Formats: sequence, C-alpha cells, structure tokens
Amino acid sequence: MIYDEFVTQIEGHGRIHFEIVNDKVVEVRLEIHEGSRFFESFLRGRRADEVPQMVSRICGVCPVPHNHCAVQALEDAMGIEVSEQTRMLRRLTLSAEMIHDHALHLYILASPDYLGVNGITDLYSKFPDLVKRCIKMRSVGNRAIEIVGGRAVHPINSIPGGFAKLPTRADMRRIVKDFKSIMNDCIETFNTFANLKYPEFERATEYLAIDDGKHFPVYAGRLVSNRGLNADVRAYRNYIKEVFKPYSNSKFCVIDGHGFHVGAIARINLFKDRLNPIAKDLLESSQVKFPSDNPFHNNLAQALEMVHYAEEVIRIAEELAVKLKDEERPKQTKDGTGVGVVEAPRGVLIHEYTVDKNGIIRGANLIIPTGMNTTNIEEDLYALLSMNIDKPKEELKKLAEQLFRAYDPCLSCSTH
Amino acid sequence: MKPRIAIFDLTDCEGCEVQILNSKFIDKILENVEFLNFRLGQKINRWEGFDVAFIEGVALTSHELELLKKIREHSKFVVALGSCACFGGIAAINNFMDLEEAKKYVYGENADKIESLYVKPISEIIKVDFMIRGCPIVPEDFERVVSDILAGRIPREHTRPVCMDCKSRGNPCQLLKGNVCLGPVSYGGCNAPCPSAGMPCDGCRGPLEMPEMIAELELLKKVAQQDDIIRLFRRYAPMVTPFKEVAGGKL
Repeated sequence: MIYDEFVTQIEGHGRIHFEIVNDKVVEVRLEIHEGSRFFESFLRGRRADEVPQMVSRICGVCPVPHNHCAVQALEDAMGIEVSEQTRMLRRLTLSAEMIHDHALHLYILASPDYLGVNGITDLYSKFPDLVKRCIKMRSVGNRAIEIVGGRAVHPINSIPGGFAKLPTRADMRRIVKDFKSIMNDCIETFNTFANLKYPEFERATEYLAIDDGKHFPVYAGRLVSNRGLNADVRAYRNYIKEVFKPYSNSKFCVIDGHGFHVGAIARINLFKDRLNPIAKDLLESSQVKFPSDNPFHNNLAQALEMVHYAEEVIRIAEELAVKLKDEERPKQTKDGTGVGVVEAPRGVLIHEYTVDKNGIIRGANLIIPTGMNTTNIEEDLYALLSMNIDKPKEELKKLAEQLFRAYDPCLSCSTH
Repeated sequence: MKPRIAIFDLTDCEGCEVQILNSKFIDKILENVEFLNFRLGQKINRWEGFDVAFIEGVALTSHELELLKKIREHSKFVVALGSCACFGGIAAINNFMDLEEAKKYVYGENADKIESLYVKPISEIIKVDFMIRGCPIVPEDFERVVSDILAGRIPREHTRPVCMDCKSRGNPCQLLKGNVCLGPVSYGGCNAPCPSAGMPCDGCRGPLEMPEMIAELELLKKVAQQDDIIRLFRRYAPMVTPFKEVAGGKL
C-alpha cells in the first residue's frame, strides 16, 4: 500500500483494484484505506449537547449534514419538538452547504477529468474564470453557514432544540443579497456541465432519497426509492444492511442484497418535479434528460442542484428576513432511541442515538452516504470495465477512477 | 523559482485542506507556489525535494507511519496542519478508552481485521518544524505561514489566550455565565468563533505555553462535575501537556 496509489481528487484514501483474465473482469474491489476513528464508540458517555459539534469532525467537506442529522436524531430520542423556524434555518444551512460542496467537487475535483487538466493549479492557469466562479460561489455558501452556524467548517451553535445563538433579520437580508449575486454563476455552472461530454454508460439501479411530502429532499423525511421502497427512517435497519469486506475499512451497504445509489442523481431522478422554478425551467429547456441511469450524470445533477438550492436559500432567507424571532430552546422530555435523516451533498445520511434520562449518549450508529454507495460503485465498475474490456489497462484505470470520482465519494465519512 | 509545496493528509476529515481552499487569497497562493504533491487537488504528484510539506491528520495505520517518515526525508520544512497533526485531535479520544471494545462495538466480529494505532501528535513520530493549530485551522494562519515562506522568513507563533480574541469581539464571558470554557488556557488567534456563536471555547488550538491550569481547573470545578471537565479536555487537543494530564483524569 503506497500513498501514490490512492485515487486523487476525492475526499479520503481509497483505491480501485481490478483484475482481468482472458478478456473477462474477474474481480473488482473498492478498497477504502482511510483509518477508522470509531466515532460511534467514543460518543458513548458524552452529553447530547456535545455530539453535534463532535460529529461534524467526521468530515471537513460536509460537516453541516452531520451536525443537522445528529440534532434531529437526538431530538427524536429526547422528545424535543423544534419550531418551524429552526427547521427552516436547518434547511437553509444544508442548502448553503450544497452550494460550496458541489462547487468544490464539480470544479476542483471532477472538472479536470473532462477538461483534460492535471488539477487545481493547471485549471486556474487555463480556465481562470471557472476557478474564480467556483471561489465566489463557495465563499457565498460558506458565509451563509457561518452567519447561521458560527463557522463554515465545523458549525458551532447548532445543538439539540435549536441554535445557541440566532442570526438576525439583517443577517437574512445579507444572505438574500449574497445568493442573488451568485444565481447567474449557478446557472452558468449548469450550462458548463451540460455541455461536457460524459462517458456513455448506463446501468439500471435503485435510487434512494428522502421525502418529507413537500420539499425537494434536504432535511428529514421517509426513505423512498424508484423501486417502491417507502419506509419510516426509524425502520432503516429492516431495509439497509451493512456488510463487512476484509479489504475495506468502510462497510458496504445493500438493499435486498444489491447495491443502490444515493446523492444528487437519486434526488433529481426521484424528485425533479419538486425543483425550484429556475432549476426546473433550466432542465426543461436543455438537452439534458432525467431520470438518467448514467452514474456520470451525477455531476450534471449536482450542477442542476446548485441552482435549485441557491433558490431555496433565497426563498427561506427572504421569509425569515421578515419573521425571524428569538425563541426559547425546548428541553428534553423523554429518553430512548432516536433516528435522524438528512440529505448530505453525497446522499442520504442516517444517525441513530440512544440517550438516557440525564441526556448522556448510551449508543450510536451512523450510516453514511458513501457507505451506501460503495456496493453500487463496485457493481458499476464491473459493468463499465466489462463494456470497455478491449481498451488498454491504463485507460481502464483512468475510466474507473473517473467513475468513482463522479460519485463524489467521501472516504473520511464512510469509515468514520 | 516558486516554493515547492506538498500537502499530505493522513486519517482525518480534510477540513483543514478545505480551509486552505476557503482562503480569500487562494488565487494568490495558486499563482505563487508550486504544488509538487497535493492528492486532493491534482492527478500527477511527485516525490522530489519539498521546500515545505504540510501534513494533516493522524497516523492510525502502519502504512501512515511509513508515509510520515518518507515525507520527512523529502522535506526541508515540515508543518503540522491542524489539531489532529499537532495534538492528536478527535481520534485520540480512543487513547483514553478500551480500544478493543471500541473496535468490537463498531465492527463486531470483524474487529480484529481493523488496524488502529495509539494516536500521537506527528511531532512524536517525526521532527516537525512548525504547527498550524486549530480544529479546523483558520485560513489566516495558513496565509501568514505561506507569505512568511515566500518572503524567506521563518514563521513564528504569536501567543495569546482565546480570551483576547473573545474580548475584542465584545462577547459576554462564558465562564462568568457558569459554562465550562477553556478560553483562558487555550491558544488564541482564532478570532474566538465559538464564544461569538454563544458556545464556550473547547480548546481546539491547544494550550498556551504557560497556561494558568490550577486557577482554570478551580474555576471549572465550581461549575461542572469532574467527568464533564475530563471529557472537555478529551476533544480536539487531548495529547499535549497539560491538557493530556487532565484528559487522563488528573484534576
């Protein structure tokens, strides 16, 4: 195992191992070598108030979903009913996270595959406008999280019951102004990624996202799929099974023994009818077609989502600019086990905690989007490599890594 | 000749690298340095003489230990990036717990297939020339170190407690409110985001050089139970004296 074998331009350490014998793919292994930090274990004995900040440290790219999933699960366990205002603020920060996170992935990590450049420095010298656009969108997304959550990487003040310190109406006006200033950049992002040439590949699979009955997936809801799954998230263990494979520190998830896909492509495939108006019009007036069974189109789905979530932030912030008010944080009313679910940029994220009557954590289980995608990635890789078996090995390696990257995997998350 | 930089990550959350990308001057950084090795940011990475190597995260596997030594051999100047590399970070909480039980809790019957070493600051494994503290780092610290390097200066630390940052932002004192706050004994320069967001400081930037620990612990004992105090020191900088001793139960 040497560092140089790890796939570049993804979050965390993993590599793809495949073997071809007599023009047949005989083995594909997604090896995830990021160390395990045993978050689920060391959270036991902590106070519920400490958990949301600590679990954000699972991932510095997507800390907000971990925080928000944790507060939701803890509130479920402790019998805390939060206000609609709190839920709106959480939808706002999750949506803002999508902006900075998708921009990071699309421009810095994924676009070099399509533009034929080495990486960020190269991209900046050849396509400075793209990098500047990315920086601008990311700083706006980050600033909104900072305004509401206290800090962009590892938000501070979001705790069970709500926020330790609330933003002001003026803050909301600032966020509206900020996001209006990048709306065009988000639209241009979609246009840029709609005009790229994606590898031709299709494989039908199960797409999973969350449904709160009203919004495009972002915060809380039931587990739903294109193959008829519709379940309360508290029953997730009945559907999503985790399998251990000896070559990976990350567990592999399956539904009924097969892989499934979570993330931007799953959300768009299932809920494109709930997109905000500008995103919806963009999709309808373009050549792009969803639902799509091409996993490379996950990048395209992310670009479309940037428009939708920017609209979402504006919509929520405009409403709160008028009616945001100070609130008391509700307190613990019971003990027991609770489950939370949010859409992280990379897909469905589930946290489950058992809390005792003193507010101390007694058990924890976390299921991470990249962990959910691992089986599907292996199945996709097998099909993709089989289809291109006549190409030289070096080219296959490149294609395999490009597919892995299209999923926007997060390996620090998946091993946690 | 631009300075030749490498950015490596071990086991971590990569949040400190994200903070580098969040820098207001990221475009200037891209223009003025050459990244020889930066796995998160580029495809072709080389092992040549690095003027500066930034290392984020902790070594949890034997392969990561080897990697640390290899980076040291290739670098003139090594910078520990973030509190995991500087002080063991959040993964070091396992040092104070039963590791075998932790593995079993997470991996069940497959626990013995998971390698996980005792977590040390990387300065206990290789020579480290400079630290950029924090969970996560603040981009300003990275900018300062890079501009020092560009100007041919050796970077230096500016020691002051978090309380200085906190007071300059006009926050009410968390300790006076009766909360367990590590501001007085913790290394400032972060602009005090936690107390400014209504939460106490949890000491993520590690201890000051000569912290008033006895007075701090006396204050904390008035407002919190012993277990709570111990857990507070077992968060983001648990493997550095004198935080380490409290995290280990010496109050």
